[in-house]
Amino acid sequence: MVCGSGVESFAESAGPFGAGAVFVADDERLAAPLPQPRVDVLAALIREEGFDIVLFAQSVLAADVAAGLAARLGAGLNWDLVDVAETDEVLVGKRPALADSVWVDVGWTSSPRLALFRTGAFEPVERGGSAEVRTVDVVLEEHSLLAQLVEPAVAEQSGPSIEDADVVVAGGRGLGGPEGFAQVEALADALGGAVAATRAVVDAGWYPYSAQVGQTGKTVSPKLYVAVGISGAIQHKVGMQGSGTIVAINKDPNAPIFDYADLGVVGDLNEIVPALTSLVGRRKSG
Amino acid sequence: MKPADFPPPWSDGDAIAAPSDSEPIEVGVLVVGAGPAGLAAAIRLGQLAASDPKGAARLGEVPVAVFEKGKAPGSHLLSGAVIDPGPLQRLLEGLRDPGDMPSYGEVPGESVLFLTAGRAVPLPIPPTMRNNGNLVVSLSRLGRWLAEIAEEAGVAILAETAAEKLLVEEGRVVGVRTGDKGRGRAGEELGRFESGSDVRAQVTILAEGTQGHLTAAALGRFGLAGSNPQTWALGVKEVWKVARPQRQVIHTLGWPLRSGAKFREFGGSFIYPMGGEMATIGMVVGLDYRDAELSVHDLLQELKTHPRIRSIFDGGERIAWGAKTIPEGGFVALPRKFSAPGLLVTGDAAGFVNVPALKGIHYAVESGRLAAEAAWASVARDDDLDGFDRALRKSFLWSDLRQVRNMRQAFARGLWRGSALAGLATVTKGRFPRDDRATERDAEQSVLTSARSSSYPAPDGRLTFDKLSSVYLSGNRTRDDQPNHIRLATRVPAELAELWSRMCPAQVYETGVVGDDGLVEIELSSSNCVQCGAITAKGGRLTPPEGGSGPEYTLT
Repeated sequence: MVCGSGVESFAESAGPFGAGAVFVADDERLAAPLPQPRVDVLAALIREEGFDIVLFAQSVLAADVAAGLAARLGAGLNWDLVDVAETDEVLVGKRPALADSVWVDVGWTSSPRLALFRTGAFEPVERGGSAEVRTVDVVLEEHSLLAQLVEPAVAEQSGPSIEDADVVVAGGRGLGGPEGFAQVEALADALGGAVAATRAVVDAGWYPYSAQVGQTGKTVSPKLYVAVGISGAIQHKVGMQGSGTIVAINKDPNAPIFDYADLGVVGDLNEIVPALTSLVGRRKSG
Repeated sequence: MKPADFPPPWSDGDAIAAPSDSEPIEVGVLVVGAGPAGLAAAIRLGQLAASDPKGAARLGEVPVAVFEKGKAPGSHLLSGAVIDPGPLQRLLEGLRDPGDMPSYGEVPGESVLFLTAGRAVPLPIPPTMRNNGNLVVSLSRLGRWLAEIAEEAGVAILAETAAEKLLVEEGRVVGVRTGDKGRGRAGEELGRFESGSDVRAQVTILAEGTQGHLTAAALGRFGLAGSNPQTWALGVKEVWKVARPQRQVIHTLGWPLRSGAKFREFGGSFIYPMGGEMATIGMVVGLDYRDAELSVHDLLQELKTHPRIRSIFDGGERIAWGAKTIPEGGFVALPRKFSAPGLLVTGDAAGFVNVPALKGIHYAVESGRLAAEAAWASVARDDDLDGFDRALRKSFLWSDLRQVRNMRQAFARGLWRGSALAGLATVTKGRFPRDDRATERDAEQSVLTSARSSSYPAPDGRLTFDKLSSVYLSGNRTRDDQPNHIRLATRVPAELAELWSRMCPAQVYETGVVGDDGLVEIELSSSNCVQCGAITAKGGRLTPPEGGSGPEYTLT
């Protein structure tokens, strides 16, 4: 089953992978990734054709559609399956549980039987053949059109991500508080880089977890890594030791980071960082 | 001021729940904890089930399941360890050749040294500490091996699974609820959220080891606790590749601990050979100590700077590190009863440790085996679980522990008087002193401060190390953005904040800002935690974090 707008051309390509028939619901009203219109189309098709088993590849949209369909048809839904087999004429799904350490056999007590499969659970196998393409009438309930897509948006972030950036400026506990990150951001801006943080400051709530570099955060390897107020415990080191040039600014000359920095500055970051930021700014504009 | 004045926001009842409405997973016997006690119980149950298919049918489709909160069996196992292999060999009779047991061989020879800052004086070996015929092992390795044997016996071992609540229904333990996974810092459900499940069992065997939070809850709920509180010691150990083979088992007393009675510093160190290439060194100190600046991690670092000890490790490389508490209360602090309806308590969870002999693993194995037999009798023949209590009292572990019941308490009077009293107790086989000497809760010891920390060596990264490097070597990669699993009063006097931050070998606690009321805020880095349990002894409560968190020990 293919649902969407301008999707008819995909239908035939399912043939070589084993589909005998492909149903196509191609309609402008199915363009937005909204579940309710799809529930209408699928419910009508399943009733009309009398299908007993309906399988979905798991995604946010598919989970929405499957759940809505289960409610509409009074059907059972098993999710997160990685396999399905017929044993003694009973359909049995396999679902990993307890951190994938055991496989649970799951079944259905009513019909139709709905299931969501983990993406990647099956390898597509091309074995030739062609599919009969059958067009489905798109009849939508009025209430199904009440939700509308206003605007698609992607998660925004300012500047490059820390994993892709050529320059990363990272702040640690030496900044003294969340307000200290203003200096780090200014320096990162001037250098055209991204801002990272140590676990200690993320723990303290000074900066978001998504910026955490280290053993339990992200691993980065920019060309230039500037560590501001970071002592440099091994948990931090393993997340950034692949960086090209490591510059450390810290007031404690015994901080471990000086053992592996290429360039170390012992001093007050509140003086050094603003001076460095304005110097970089002047060089750039000059 | 004492730690107990600032109790954690926790009551043992928090670890008990009624079964939920969702459909449970059903198992025959559920074992909590894949340590020597739990795996011995599982292996014995596997044997019994194989010998009696009719009885086994009553256990259902999953006859025996073991929950392990670590990444794998052995991940959270840590001990010295010199073990008495007898009970394990009896357990494995017919399953394995005793020679297959992973060990570093028999104790080749031993000495006990009394240390001063510069000297090491050999002492006669106390009879309780003699190790003829005993084996040096890594308990983590031994645990992995036992887990393989258990799996061959048909046992399901579920790692990365925290047993969060004990399920109690109509006065009977009916299983365990596993912990949720994939919650964020504030408890919110993240994308990978996976809800915990009710797991129902006909019998639940608690083999949680030291400081089990279900065990604590069960002892309270079913009135099993004895008349004396349990006490603990904290052990911190390292495994080294050594430049020269270490040929002897060494135990030390004295320096860097202080002998004065007011400090209550009872403990010592061990150095064991692990084949020709490796050796392990550990420092163990009773958690009834009083000095806010005492840090077992740093005492271990200091110990290595002693000329006699340094000569063993110089030129070597530290390859593993870990920490764990040891129940030290002994016989007088044992529970009154080890069973309740649907429930059995074994091993370190029950407190089966012989402090003067520095041993508990063989008692864990024996109590696990006896628990399996009681569970089997209950399932296959509807016998009462009380049979476990009777079997324990007839076992060698009971008479062993009874004989040494007052030795540890004697050391509350300082090293010298303690040694004299312990000596008397030894020669009279425990008949002196006649009465049981009480224990006091570790958290009830008032806190004092001295300049103890001034002599801790600065870490040089070769012989001596800081705590964060140690945590790294434990293999701990705990997800940071999960809820804090440590229950603790977080606004406390500065001395108590100091005590906790120095005590913790994994740098979980840091002293924050001082408030207007003179109390300081404790800042927690709970993902550093290696789940040693010291905080529970000293006024907090360790609960299990998300399954799979914590250290990943392999050689400890």
